[in-house]
Amino acid sequence: MEHEHIVKKFDKNLEKIKATIVEMGGLVGLQVNDATAVLSSYDKAEVDRITAYDRIINGLNKDIHDRAEILIVRRQPMALDLRQTLAPINISGELERIGDHAKSTAKRAHIIHNAPPEDATLDMIGQMSTKVQAMLADVIIAYANADIDLAAKIRAQDKDVDMLYKQVVKTVIETLTKTPDKAESLIHITLIARNFERIGDHVCNVARYVHQIVTGEDLKASADPSELRLDK
Amino acid sequence: MIDPIITARGVDIFYDTNQAIHNVDLDILPNKVTAFIGPSGCGKSTFLRAINRMNDLIPTCRVTGDMKIAGQDIYAPAVDVVALRAQVGMVFQKPNPFPKSIFENVAYGLKIHKITDSKTEMQDRVEWSLRSAGLWAEVADRLDQPGNSLSGGQQQRLCIARAIAVKPKVILMDEPCSALDPIATAVVEELIDNLRKDYTIVIVTHSMQQAARVSQRTAFFHLGTLVEFGDTKTIFTTPEDERTQNYITGRIG
Repeated sequence: MEHEHIVKKFDKNLEKIKATIVEMGGLVGLQVNDATAVLSSYDKAEVDRITAYDRIINGLNKDIHDRAEILIVRRQPMALDLRQTLAPINISGELERIGDHAKSTAKRAHIIHNAPPEDATLDMIGQMSTKVQAMLADVIIAYANADIDLAAKIRAQDKDVDMLYKQVVKTVIETLTKTPDKAESLIHITLIARNFERIGDHVCNVARYVHQIVTGEDLKASADPSELRLDK
Repeated sequence: MIDPIITARGVDIFYDTNQAIHNVDLDILPNKVTAFIGPSGCGKSTFLRAINRMNDLIPTCRVTGDMKIAGQDIYAPAVDVVALRAQVGMVFQKPNPFPKSIFENVAYGLKIHKITDSKTEMQDRVEWSLRSAGLWAEVADRLDQPGNSLSGGQQQRLCIARAIAVKPKVILMDEPCSALDPIATAVVEELIDNLRKDYTIVIVTHSMQQAARVSQRTAFFHLGTLVEFGDTKTIFTTPEDERTQNYITGRIG
């Protein structure tokens, strides 16, 4: 259990950043959900509405950056506080990218609508979406509660999403040879599957930031940068 | 592995029957800046003053345990305290130039410790000290003016010049910037960073940002005990002890 700051406003500033991330996570989750729905029941107005989410999400992203910046200036955070201030900048970036993938998915809905591909591929897309939405909802809980065990479970689930993506690609390749006239929609199905696969990666990145906030350990840090120098 | 220049083992410090420092073990590495941080009354200044026996001046103060500098027990009966304080210089919270000229302030230690009788050598050493303290350009044309005619930041650098004139091994600094404005503080911090090439510096500071900026090693004291000691980066990013984290982040522990 974290202790409170002597300066109460410090706690309030950090809580506001956290609340904004939670709000952003909820909106992005909704956008992914709606983008998936519009694939099976196309509606242009709905696509426009999903696309318009973007501005709100970008606004929240900017709000988090501004709040973190002013907190650094005012409070000079250290240790846990510093990680609680810096990580949201990265987390909001990951969420914003998820929003972009949802938008990209929604924008392809009319092609899928005009030339529906195999049901099997749409089923797999549906499974991918269900999976990443659950992961996204959980990672926001893990962030809000500083729950590193939940964050670890979420990271472990990414392989399921990757497997589904490979299955979509395999099915598309098989179908292309049988029904080359559906090439365009099959390519878009692959790109949509790619969107969900990337969403899974971004959720995993958020889960890594949750781990880093709590422990200070950067799970993405691999090699010593000096080992990567090309002039060695 | 670098050998420490200062080693403390089982150091206890008492004021009468009150124990201010409890069983501190600490190794200070040469040519590094080591910061002591902790809340008021935690014992950090008391421990700092034990490193050059400034506590001897307080009749009720008693130091037990083992405190060595370069392998020498500084509390051994044969130790000449005046010579020790030349080896371990000190800069205080408030700049305290003597009521003498700028030149005499720096030359004082050279005379006390009879380091030189030669006038030329004395002049050379004063100039070298003032240059080392980053003050020469500002005072070269007014060396005969009183030390206290300088600004606060200049006076503090004059005190640093006075300490380094006798070429100490260690310089102790007890909140050296707490009476200075941010610009004068920056100048002193830059000086501290330059001085560590030649000296070992131990600094007590209430400014966590200053400790993070100037030091390579940080010790956190709390209620007279050394809670945590390590690389400054680790202390200010991922401290091990919850008490350290609560203190540096300003939380109620």
